[in-house]
This record gives sequence, structure tokens and C-alpha cells, in this order.
Amino acid sequence: MIKYILAALILGGVAGYLNNNLLTVVPNSMIAEQLFTVALIAILFVFGFSFAQDRNAMEKIRKTGFRIVAFPLLVALGSLVGGLFAGLLLQISVGGAMAVSSGFGWYTLSGPMMGQLLGPKWGTLGFTANFFRELLTITTIPLMVKLYRYAPVASGGGTTMDTTLGVIVRYCGKDVLIIAFSNGLILSIIAPFATVAFASLA
Amino acid sequence: MFDPLTLIYLVIPLVGGILLGFLLRNRNLPRLDKASLVVVVILIFSLGFGIGSNNELLSSLPQVGIQGLVIAALAVLFSIVFVKAGQKIVTKA
Repeated sequence: MIKYILAALILGGVAGYLNNNLLTVVPNSMIAEQLFTVALIAILFVFGFSFAQDRNAMEKIRKTGFRIVAFPLLVALGSLVGGLFAGLLLQISVGGAMAVSSGFGWYTLSGPMMGQLLGPKWGTLGFTANFFRELLTITTIPLMVKLYRYAPVASGGGTTMDTTLGVIVRYCGKDVLIIAFSNGLILSIIAPFATVAFASLA
Repeated sequence: MFDPLTLIYLVIPLVGGILLGFLLRNRNLPRLDKASLVVVVILIFSLGFGIGSNNELLSSLPQVGIQGLVIAALAVLFSIVFVKAGQKIVTKA
């Protein structure tokens, strides 16, 4: 999936650059705003629909119980504190930085949502920061797992239900599967709402 | 602060999707996973297009990259610290 997404981003970037600076085929706003908005609305609907429709996912959370709900909540809290300090350190809007870190690694959601809420610069930051979160997780798993067994699950955030699940299970062991999956699922459900909430403070 | 109207067309499809998915969860409907990849690709293409067609944004790309790295690193660091601290409290209690 990641190769399609990177290809789409780069192709889109090149097409946008050429359209703006060489030969204007369509108005920039038609793709960067209208098509973008329609696709974002569609994807939010599809995400919401798939989550609610997936009975196995809900069942898995119920079975693992409350103790496992505490895990993603601590990850969410940690991500927000990280965003807060990053905002202060970089001297950018603290609410904006926290909204970006509310993506919990889900860059295909955070990028477009931040772009829609606070403009293209924040959209780029939302994509980049959350993409780096996934990349950092994948590349440092062997190191992290030596320091603390659950560190890769905390680090992966919302991505631990799909994109980083395979690597995490390989390094942390099979018994981490359920906690990793429910961690990713719960964080993915929180992500869009937290993004909106903190963007409103920016 | 963003335009409050933006909220309406972000939250309505999300909540609407969740409600509809919940109501129809007992029916054997085709999963939307494949369709969602197509929409994600279109969405990211148009995000890339918006970046590429914005010369001001293109010139600030290196700076945005560094900011992204700092946010990601701190979010990861504190997530691990909080989980580890939480686990310590639970095992001690």
C-alpha cells in the first residue's frame, strides 16, 4: 500500500508543479481543493463505515477488556504531550502541533485533514510527521524491543493494527498481537476526532 | 481557528459512516477495503497536487520536514514513556 501512496504523492506533486509553473491544464483549485474535498469526505465515510461494520474488531476489543484500553489511552496522552513539547520547541502553534501528533502515525488521514482544517502547510506537516512516525517505528523496532518489549506498540500508534502489525509481531512475539491490534484500532478511532479538537485550538 | 463549516463536512461523513456501518453490520455487504485504496490514492494525489502547485510551500518543504521529524520523535518518545510508567503503576498496585 505504501508504494501506491508515495507514488500518488509524488505524481500529484509533479503534476501540480507542472500545472502551476509550465502549462495550466486545469485550475489548481479544481484538484487541490474540489477533488481533494470530495475524496476526503468519501474516505471519512468509508473509514467510519468499515470500522463499525467490522464485528471481529469490536469483539476483539471487548474480549481483551479494560486493561488493554488503558494502553492506547496512554499512547494518545504521550503523543499529545510529545506534540505539545514539539510545538513549544519549534515555536509553532502548540494546538496545531498537537493536532498533528493526534494522527498517531496515520498519515493518509492526518495530512488531508490538517490540510482541510488549517491549510496546505499544516497538511504537509501532518503527512510528514505521521509518515516519519511509521518510518521511525519500522526502522527502530529491533533496537526498541531490546529496551522495552512494548515500546514498538507504543511507538507505532494507530499503525499497529495494519501497516506495522506484521513487523511488531515478528519482533515482539505472537502474544503481542491482540494488544497491538486493539491499540491501533482504538487510536485510529480517536485520531480524526482528536485532530479536529486540537486543530480548533490552533 | 478554522472555518467551523469545515467541521460539518468532516464530522458528518465520519459519524454517518460509523452509524450506517453499525446499523448494517449484520448484513453480508462487500467490504469497502478495495474501494478505499482507490479513494486514498486519489486523496493523496490531490494532496500532492496541492503541495506541488504551491511554490511558497515547496520552498518551505525542508523546514516542514524537520518539524515533522521533531513532532514524530517526541510523540514516539513520550508514548513509550507513558506506557512504561503506566505499566509500572499497574504492576506495583
